[in-house]
Amino acid sequence: MAGKVRVGFYSLTGCAGDLLSILNIEDRLLEIFEKVELVEFVMASSNVKPGGVDIAFVEGSVTTEKDLKALKEIRAKCDRLVALGDCAVWGGVQASLTGLDPRELMKSVYGTEQNLYGFLGEHKPLSEVVKVDLELPGCPIEQEEFIKAFVSLLRGDLPEVKDYPVCIECKIREVPCLVVEKGEACLGPITVGGCKARCPYHGVPCIGCRGPIKDEANVAGELLMLMEKGWKPLDAINRMKLFAARYKDLAKLVGRG
Amino acid sequence: MREIVVEHMARVEGHGTIRVVVEGVVVKDVKFEIFEGPRFIEKVLVGRTFREAPDIVSRICSICPDPHSIASVRAAEKAFGVAVTEQTKLLRELQLLGDIISSHALHLYLLALPDFLGYPDALSMLDKYGREVKMGLQLKKAGNRVKEVLTGRSIHGCTARVGGYSRTPTREELEELLSLLKQSMEGAELAVKLFSSIDVPDFPRGENLFMALDPGERFGFIGDYVLVSTGERYPVEDYKKLTNELAVPHSTAKHSSYRGEPFMVGALPRVVLNKGKLKGRALEMLEEVEDKFDIANPLTNNLAQAIEAVYAVERSIEVVEELLDRGIKPEAPVEFKPKSGEGVGAVEAPRGVLYHYYKFDDEGRIVEADIITPTAQNAANIEKYLRISAERLLSRGVERLEPMLELVPRAYDPCISCSAHLVKVIRLKSSN
Repeated sequence: MAGKVRVGFYSLTGCAGDLLSILNIEDRLLEIFEKVELVEFVMASSNVKPGGVDIAFVEGSVTTEKDLKALKEIRAKCDRLVALGDCAVWGGVQASLTGLDPRELMKSVYGTEQNLYGFLGEHKPLSEVVKVDLELPGCPIEQEEFIKAFVSLLRGDLPEVKDYPVCIECKIREVPCLVVEKGEACLGPITVGGCKARCPYHGVPCIGCRGPIKDEANVAGELLMLMEKGWKPLDAINRMKLFAARYKDLAKLVGRG
Repeated sequence: MREIVVEHMARVEGHGTIRVVVEGVVVKDVKFEIFEGPRFIEKVLVGRTFREAPDIVSRICSICPDPHSIASVRAAEKAFGVAVTEQTKLLRELQLLGDIISSHALHLYLLALPDFLGYPDALSMLDKYGREVKMGLQLKKAGNRVKEVLTGRSIHGCTARVGGYSRTPTREELEELLSLLKQSMEGAELAVKLFSSIDVPDFPRGENLFMALDPGERFGFIGDYVLVSTGERYPVEDYKKLTNELAVPHSTAKHSSYRGEPFMVGALPRVVLNKGKLKGRALEMLEEVEDKFDIANPLTNNLAQAIEAVYAVERSIEVVEELLDRGIKPEAPVEFKPKSGEGVGAVEAPRGVLYHYYKFDDEGRIVEADIITPTAQNAANIEKYLRISAERLLSRGVERLEPMLELVPRAYDPCISCSAHLVKVIRLKSSN
């Protein structure tokens, strides 16, 4: 009899929110884990099995030398590597510091310029370091999107990747446009959908936590739109940089391209 | 000389390692190392406005995003002189209670219980302890559902704003919470029964120093004054004096001390310092397990969390009922104008007192930020009890210290964001 699919869950630098989102699927958690051989999930289990895995789920940004080493080891022992969440897909909110002097960062937060923690100097998404087979965006990931992807992967398939903006989901839920109606700095137009426009539905503008739509997000257009609504360029750019600092068009716009 | 290392502890939220250097029966050095990559969140905040702060700081931690965002908006409200409505106060209390419930349920049932029952994880306990695991998951779900209803999701919700909430829950949503919370009471009570029936090892005993927020008349998780077990009371604005943070090379969490002494924050300090404010079922249950409630042993923190889980469920039910009785109504955040100034916002996160300090310019842009997390405050205290434990275990002739030592940090429920390695021992040289 063929063995169960071997799955590992790994964590680099971040808040652990993507793996916790999986543990938070309370109703179906046990059912999901029964279908696979759990090789490693250190946040939940001290039982770690040796050997390779068919699917590795990795959350967090590549921030330290330890992260870098761990990620390369995971890549070497897995068949498919899935980046979970914004830190793994875009570098996370910490990547908004891209371009700042690492010594100055150390000094401002830890009071010393010394690199105490093997900091690589910037916070990178996984795809800048290794080959990534699938990216599930979100800060944190959407549980439903994870379950669908998980089922596809178990069948040996890859799920469809979303390529439409949050705006579409505002229309579907009939949420009045926060930019048009209230002049708010909403990032819905450049951000990949899949969250059912959660934030606008809850009365706040999208902050872009699912990251920009790959290769399609028009960040210059977003900037112009926000400036027309009276936002200072600095504030508008800061907002976009929070989750999209490593998107190449935005890097160009702020002069790092 | 030998070095005992528990590298990358499992079932804690982060990358943590215990390192103990032993010569014969003498403990030469103890380190609780935290190797979570540095994210410089305080620096991310600088230059941004107060509007973005609650969303950014929630990303510090997935287990306690709510305490972070509420501490953040409270700091801004103090700086701008904003007073929130009674409804907002109740909703904030409920949001924090939801976080306490889900976090304590996660720690008690999924992370700590396997230790005491001898399993690698909760999944492996299903055959023999299926009911317990399922009740734990149900309790966790109730807490998470409270957070989802109030903030849009259980991790990194989006509605807590300076001045109030961007969306008010509906009557129907609150009624759903009420029924879910009532069903989860049994899971909270079961946690007290489980953790009071376990024989807790006594090796980490030693006099401790506690700190917790003064919640006012009723037991709770928001306050503007800090109580110290020495009998002192300080305004939260004195937080620097209380914590004395110091960056240490072996940890990305800074270390804290009070008058040179390590101190503890969290469930045990809260229950000890505010015991007189507990009531209802939580107080009854605490009295029932009084003989197990050893305040000199940090492992008692688990039982204190269970007592708090009972309190949190009971109080959440009361708050929801009060919101329904008052007639919940959609309410936008109160209007205010940002101005230059500074403010300290403090709340009790599941693991203890959390401070947020910001200095703003006249447009409400952050010019300086300082965040002190409970795990950073506890790090020096964890080391103190690791040392006490190692010394005592060695004097009792115990050879394999690792599984025992691992109990100590885990009891504090350290929040250092989850990890990926096996527990292993490195012996540099054999013991004398």
